[in-house]
Amino acid sequence: MGSLTASLNTALSSMLAQQGAIDTATNNIANVDTPGYSQQVANLEEAPTIQEGDLTYGTGAQIASVTSLRDAVLDVRINQETAQQGQLNAFISSGQQVQALFNETSGTGLQSSLTAFFNSFSELSADPSDSTTRQNVLTAAQNLTAEFNQTSNNLATLQSNADLSVQQSVSQVNSLTSQIAQVNQEVVEAQENGQNPGPAEDQRQQLINQLSNYIGVSETDASDGTLTLSTANGSALVVGSQSFNLTTQTNANGCQDIYSNGQDITSQISGGSLAGNIQVRDQEIPALQNSLDTLAYNLTTAVNQQNQAGYDLNGNPGGDIFTPLTQVPGAAANMGVTMTDPDLIAASGTAGAGNSGDNTNANALYALQNSNLVDGQTPISYYSDMVFQIGNDVSTAQTNEQAGTQVLQQLQNLQGGVSGVDINQQAADLVQFQNAYQASAQVVTIINSLLETTIDMMDTATT
Amino acid sequence: MSIRLNPNLLPDLLAGIEQSQQNETTASQELASGRTVNEPSDNPAATAAIVYNHNQSSQDAQFLQNINTLQGRFQVADSTLSDVVQSLTQALSLGTEGANGTMSTSDQQAIAAQVQGLLTQVTGLANTTYQGAYLFGGTDVTAQPFSVDATTGAVTYAGNSNTTSVELSNGNSIAANVPGDQLFLNSNGSVLGSLQDLYTALTTGNNISNAVTEVSNAVNELNIQRVTYGNALDQINTSESYLNQDQINLAQQENDLESADITQVATDFAQAQLANQAAISATSQILNQKNLLDYLV
Repeated sequence: MGSLTASLNTALSSMLAQQGAIDTATNNIANVDTPGYSQQVANLEEAPTIQEGDLTYGTGAQIASVTSLRDAVLDVRINQETAQQGQLNAFISSGQQVQALFNETSGTGLQSSLTAFFNSFSELSADPSDSTTRQNVLTAAQNLTAEFNQTSNNLATLQSNADLSVQQSVSQVNSLTSQIAQVNQEVVEAQENGQNPGPAEDQRQQLINQLSNYIGVSETDASDGTLTLSTANGSALVVGSQSFNLTTQTNANGCQDIYSNGQDITSQISGGSLAGNIQVRDQEIPALQNSLDTLAYNLTTAVNQQNQAGYDLNGNPGGDIFTPLTQVPGAAANMGVTMTDPDLIAASGTAGAGNSGDNTNANALYALQNSNLVDGQTPISYYSDMVFQIGNDVSTAQTNEQAGTQVLQQLQNLQGGVSGVDINQQAADLVQFQNAYQASAQVVTIINSLLETTIDMMDTATT
Repeated sequence: MSIRLNPNLLPDLLAGIEQSQQNETTASQELASGRTVNEPSDNPAATAAIVYNHNQSSQDAQFLQNINTLQGRFQVADSTLSDVVQSLTQALSLGTEGANGTMSTSDQQAIAAQVQGLLTQVTGLANTTYQGAYLFGGTDVTAQPFSVDATTGAVTYAGNSNTTSVELSNGNSIAANVPGDQLFLNSNGSVLGSLQDLYTALTTGNNISNAVTEVSNAVNELNIQRVTYGNALDQINTSESYLNQDQINLAQQENDLESADITQVATDFAQAQLANQAAISATSQILNQKNLLDYLV
């Protein structure tokens, strides 16, 4: 059988439970703008009952737990999309600097000096004995050389800038993974102590999202509440409360390769600014550099050969205009003009003196611009393809980045739908909890008056 | 129950403002510069086409410069040959005069001296230079092509019989010279040979009429050879107008590749401006919106 005291306790438990629920709502409102905060819910339940004979009495209400509302799948999707965006942004940022070297729309690039070089042979053809015209050929060759050298150097500089970004990203990754490992531990501890692991999980998700900006990770749930993080190829970054640092090592090209547990994973990294910068450093720039070298090598070789096929102003066989290059790699950087005497340009196609007006070989030199001397293409068409390539790569990345922004925004809205704090909802909850609290307080008053009645009854009996 | 919406509307609203602002900036930049393609990624294919366009345009400019050089040279060559024809015509009338049987020996000698003068004059014309280069030495433009032996009067040609050609526009070449021997020592009528023969005939008084016929043949042949220069000048004019037109076409093409459609861009700009204002106004209203708590107090 229940007693008045038991009823008092029941009312009191209700007041405590409602107060806890009010606390939770208040905390939600307080964190409405906190980044990464997931709304929390106080889960009320009926307190354990007591059995007396055939009767079961309730003992009130209590808070079973406070849980954070979150959707782990959405978190993973957001991290994946963030990694994708991080990669695209890094690629675009570096790619724009690369394409600026070939911005033919504003006249920057190799086209003008390439055309001017061939034009100088056209001019030579019209007036092969003129010393100014001959000097113009050498000047045009020097200008072309300077342009090739400079473009090659600029590409190398952009490559080492990308390399620097890679190193910076690696140290950011290491700092974040060690923080995540620590928070993993906090989640475990909260669970063991029966606390809400939500706040620690919020923090962990925030950190993983930051990490995703630098590198794409795959997440797996360990049974103990910790998350295991690894790179795309499966190299562990965080396992439980332990993190594994990425390290760097200089490779043959002077760039930093990335190692995980002694294994070179440079080419296997996907997602994040790390992947974007590696893509620019190891693919985009080397491809352009190789094209530039191929163009420089084939052009100088063909021009030298054609000049050797003719005869100079003195009727002697022609020599090299450009410093002969032995191999394609480094050709653009090593390109140089070896000829200093304009009389040695072989405009003539006839051996021996007395042919200063012969322009046969000047015509042949000019015709090189229309011959398929670079990988089956004319020099200008080969160069034009290079310009298209870099422009197209940046443009594609920009299109993907714009699409990705939309996707990410949508995912974040979905996540907000689950985890976001709605002031109106919290206010309604508060009113509800307040009413229940007031009702319980009223019950206490009633029981109090019942107790007083009982005590008064006893007074009357004794007197 | 419906899907719970994201209670935080700000990120979406701010993204909307940012996007409309971006569109506004892009459109205003395009309006200001008049160009839609400012870097390769704006339109990779157009940028690649611009490479060809600039290449072609610059080639055309070089061809036009060559045409200028050739035009001057051909004009000088043509007018020099015209002077030679004039000298020959003069020699012709002197020869006809000398062939007259009633002429005294001393008069014939005087005419012979005049013919010798013409020979010297024509040899001088045959050695004409243009900008330091001999016009009629074949491809040997540095050595004087014609010389006359002071005692024998024999003419020697130091040049060669080579011709050159120069490209006037892509794939279109023009003969750039007629060798001196073909002009002045042609077997069908030798300019210098006939003058030499006329001089000898007048000096000796023999075969004067034959020599006159030779000179007449030489005039005819020279007029035939001269046509090359006349034709070349015509061809140059044709190429020049072609190249000028091509440059206009290329400029038009470049314009089409790079330029903004002003009507379109102006519309885009107006739309972006409107969208931006709408987004800002919506954001400010949302920010000032009351919530349930405001009514509970």
